[in-house]
Amino acid sequence: MSELDSSEAVFKSRPKRLAALMEAGTEGARLWLPEELAAIFQHQMQAPVLLDLGGFAPGTAVRLKTLSEAQGLILKSFSDLFHHPSPPLELLRLTKDFAKANLDHSESGLPAEIVSVLYYTSIAVALVRLDTRISQLKDADLRHGLLWAKDQAWVDKETKALLLEAAEKISKETNL
Amino acid sequence: MGKAAEGDEARLDRLIRQYWGPLKIFLVTTFPGLRDDADIVLQEFAEDKILREGWLKRADQSRGQFRHFLKTSLRNFALDRLNRAEVKHPPVSLDELEGELPGAEAPSEEFDLIWVRTVLAETLRRMETDCKSPTADQPRRAHTWEMFRIRLLAPIFDDTPPVPYEQLIDRFGLRSPMDASNMLLSAKRIFKMHLNDVIKEYAEQDFATAAEVSALEEFLSRMTNRG
Repeated sequence: MSELDSSEAVFKSRPKRLAALMEAGTEGARLWLPEELAAIFQHQMQAPVLLDLGGFAPGTAVRLKTLSEAQGLILKSFSDLFHHPSPPLELLRLTKDFAKANLDHSESGLPAEIVSVLYYTSIAVALVRLDTRISQLKDADLRHGLLWAKDQAWVDKETKALLLEAAEKISKETNL
Repeated sequence: MGKAAEGDEARLDRLIRQYWGPLKIFLVTTFPGLRDDADIVLQEFAEDKILREGWLKRADQSRGQFRHFLKTSLRNFALDRLNRAEVKHPPVSLDELEGELPGAEAPSEEFDLIWVRTVLAETLRRMETDCKSPTADQPRRAHTWEMFRIRLLAPIFDDTPPVPYEQLIDRFGLRSPMDASNMLLSAKRIFKMHLNDVIKEYAEQDFATAAEVSALEEFLSRMTNRG
């Protein structure tokens, strides 16, 4: 569609298309298509941690910067955070809370599947790398969620491995 | 005439110009005999009926939607004009007379369809102008219009698949999925804001605007289901 013919298109369109246009102003509808989840997840993993978390928790910019630069290692992205051998626990908690907040408020526009995987991955990383539980979910529910996240086709291999390791750790510790 | 009345007159005049298209379609579909004089009749309707003090007061909520009141007023005005013409020049045959009689449902639907098209075209025009305004937050705002155009408008009007997410990242310099979602949500909100503004100019009250949005949606749904 060229830039100047939207008005012409409206006057030529049948009611079905006009109804679709009226619906375009509705915010409840899903913004992104299921087949785009892989690209969105990849983008999320490469997104600057400070950008999303800084927007989520205003006023913590300096603290976030300090955390992400802790130990002389700069954590630029969520991927850096999740695959760091000793990630700052506070950043993982903030990531989990950021994901939870987006899950609870679907109007953020982020696909629920993406924020769910972000949520479980932050918990998995804390469990695997820091041996710390940052979630109050019941063992069975947490294990179920970790395995669900691991089974998503669009999640990369490294993240899948982390999620599986966390699920196995819970199984071992709780005899699930 | 007081200031308020002058304001009403200017507003009505602008509305009539804006909705001239649907009014004309309704007029010539209902009264095919007026086809050649449609613009003159509409001009007379505007000057003699609508712009006369007091018409707007009658077009209040108790008389239903503004759109329906305008339609009824035009129909009555045209009937009155035809009746006066017939007194001077009676139709020579029953066929000729029947040709002048207004139908009921079809012209009304045609009017509503052109009306909703006018509303939506004006909405898109204002949204594009707003987003491209040099005084707006640029280039972000212009990108918001572009995102709306390629992601939502093109699939609706051109049957093209939406531009894939990974292409949007480079095109608009999106920094994260949250950034992308915010831009698309902003586009939807801007569209909705202008749609409400366009409708509020004739519906006036917020509750009447919301009711008119619902009425237009229901009308389009009815038309769509009919095929």
